[in-house]
Order: sequence, then C-alpha cells, then structure tokens
Amino acid sequence: MKMRPMLTLEDCKKISAAAEAEAKKNSWNVCIAILDDGGHLLHLARMDGATPANARIAVEKGRTAAETRRSTANWQERVGKRVELLRMPGVTPVQGGLPIVLDGTCVGAVGISGVQSHEDEQIAAAGIKALG
Amino acid sequence: MLGIRTFTGAACAALLATSAALAQVPPADEKNPNEALPEKHAYTPYGEPIKLDQARKAAEAALAESTKRGWAMCIAVVAPSGDLVYFAKMDDCQYGSIAIAQHKARAAAKFRRPTLVFERLLGRGDYFSYLATLDDVIASRGGNPIVVNGKIIGAIGVSGGTGTQDDVISQAGLKAAQ
Repeated sequence: MKMRPMLTLEDCKKISAAAEAEAKKNSWNVCIAILDDGGHLLHLARMDGATPANARIAVEKGRTAAETRRSTANWQERVGKRVELLRMPGVTPVQGGLPIVLDGTCVGAVGISGVQSHEDEQIAAAGIKALG
Repeated sequence: MLGIRTFTGAACAALLATSAALAQVPPADEKNPNEALPEKHAYTPYGEPIKLDQARKAAEAALAESTKRGWAMCIAVVAPSGDLVYFAKMDDCQYGSIAIAQHKARAAAKFRRPTLVFERLLGRGDYFSYLATLDDVIASRGGNPIVVNGKIIGAIGVSGGTGTQDDVISQAGLKAAQ
C-alpha cells in the first residue's frame, strides 16, 4: 500500500499566514486559496481590497495547479506555443498557481490572485516555503 | 385521436372565453398566503462588507465550537454580494460540504435571511414550493446573515453535520462577529 501525505487545516493556515505576510510586506491585496490534490478547496482568505473576481480566480489557478501537478506559469508558457491547449477542460493558464510537492508527491496547490501574475506566484511560493 | 382533438378544442375555447390576456393563468386560491399584498417591505439594509480579520474571527469561533463538539465542518464567510472572504475545511469533513457551506453563506447574504427560513417554508408544503425555483436558494439551515449595527455586512455558512449541528456552529461564528 502506498501512503500519501495529506494537508491538514493547520498546514493550510500556516501556508496562508506566510502568503498573507508576503503580500502585506509589499502592500498587496490578494486572495489566497489552498486546495488538496483533487482540486477541493481547503482554505481561502481574501484580503481587504481584493475583489470578488480575485476570489474566483485564486481558486481556479489553485485547482489547475493541483489537478495537473504543474504550475499555472508552465501552462501559460505552453499555451503561448500551442494555442489549442486553451481548450483543455478546467485549466486556467495564468501564472499564480503552484503545486505543493512533498517528496515527489503533489499534495495540493496554492492559487493567488490580486496583483501582477509574477507577484501572485511570488506570494504562493512564500506560502509553500512556510510548510518547511 | 378524434376524442383527444375534441377535448383540446373544448378546453381552448373555455380558456379563451374567460380572458384572452390571462389565458394561461389558473385562478387564485384564496387559501394561498402568497396572494396577499403587503403594504410594507421590511428588510435589513446592507452595510460595508466584512473585513478579513472580522471574517476570520467569526470562522475561528465556529471552528473552535466544532472542535469542542468533535464535529468536522466546512465554514464559509462571504461578503454581502455572496463572494467568499474566508473559507476553512476541517480535516476529514465530507467533500460535499465544501460547496454546501459556500452556498448556504451566499444564499443567506443574497436573500438577507437565514437559510432556515427557506427550509421551514418549503416544509410547509405546496404554497411554498415556488421557493425552490428561485435562483441560488438553498433550503437547508446553517446559513446566517452577519448583522452589525443593524446592517448586513456578510454571512456565514456551515455544512458537515446534520442541519441543526450546522446551525449551532453557524450561530457560534455569528456571535463572535458581532
């Protein structure tokens, strides 16, 4: 039997707090979504000033990264070369979603929306780093 | 075949005879409470949307109550428009509750009333079955508007247990937000 690690609510809060701190440090207002490896929402925090659209986009970036086990930046890059990838179901190919990979296993993802896409990804990376 | 045609023709003639404009509308049932025309429109006005810190405080209180009782729940806090501000899924809460908690919160905010209202009215029967046809309604208790200083600043939705368990946790969150 293969055993897989699983994100707990405590893990999610740790990731979310670190991501929020990174955003605050830069005076950015974003939405932070954390999902499990099946794309199910585990935790979400929308900072004051972030829009309703940010809440939806953060979840969709996270879902894409979780279910496909790759960053949404990777999707964005590949869509640029192969436009037909835009028709992939359930894919939001915009930078800002990162899979959470532990010992080669994807346990979920973080999706950020609110500032420029590369800044969104910087926040996601800061969140995941807190997991240790 | 001839019989059906004759009947249809007779029915059409009868309807046309009563009123051409209201040909499709059946007569009012006097026992139906929805036929009444209220003079006033009583509702709680919307206020400034809930802040993240406030939403988190409400959710934390709900999470603490769930943990104390040993229940695994999903907690959603939304702005008056029904858009998510904070969400948390407790470990091992059923997957179905992720969407239901959000739906309950959204319905409580968008319709400015606890989702218990829909549940109870639908339970009364035929005259209230129309409620199930309204956009984005969920007729299950656990969604409650967050009212501060007489204004709705958001709503909290809980799912994961029975309806009454969900509502107890929702109320615990509500209390912390006020």
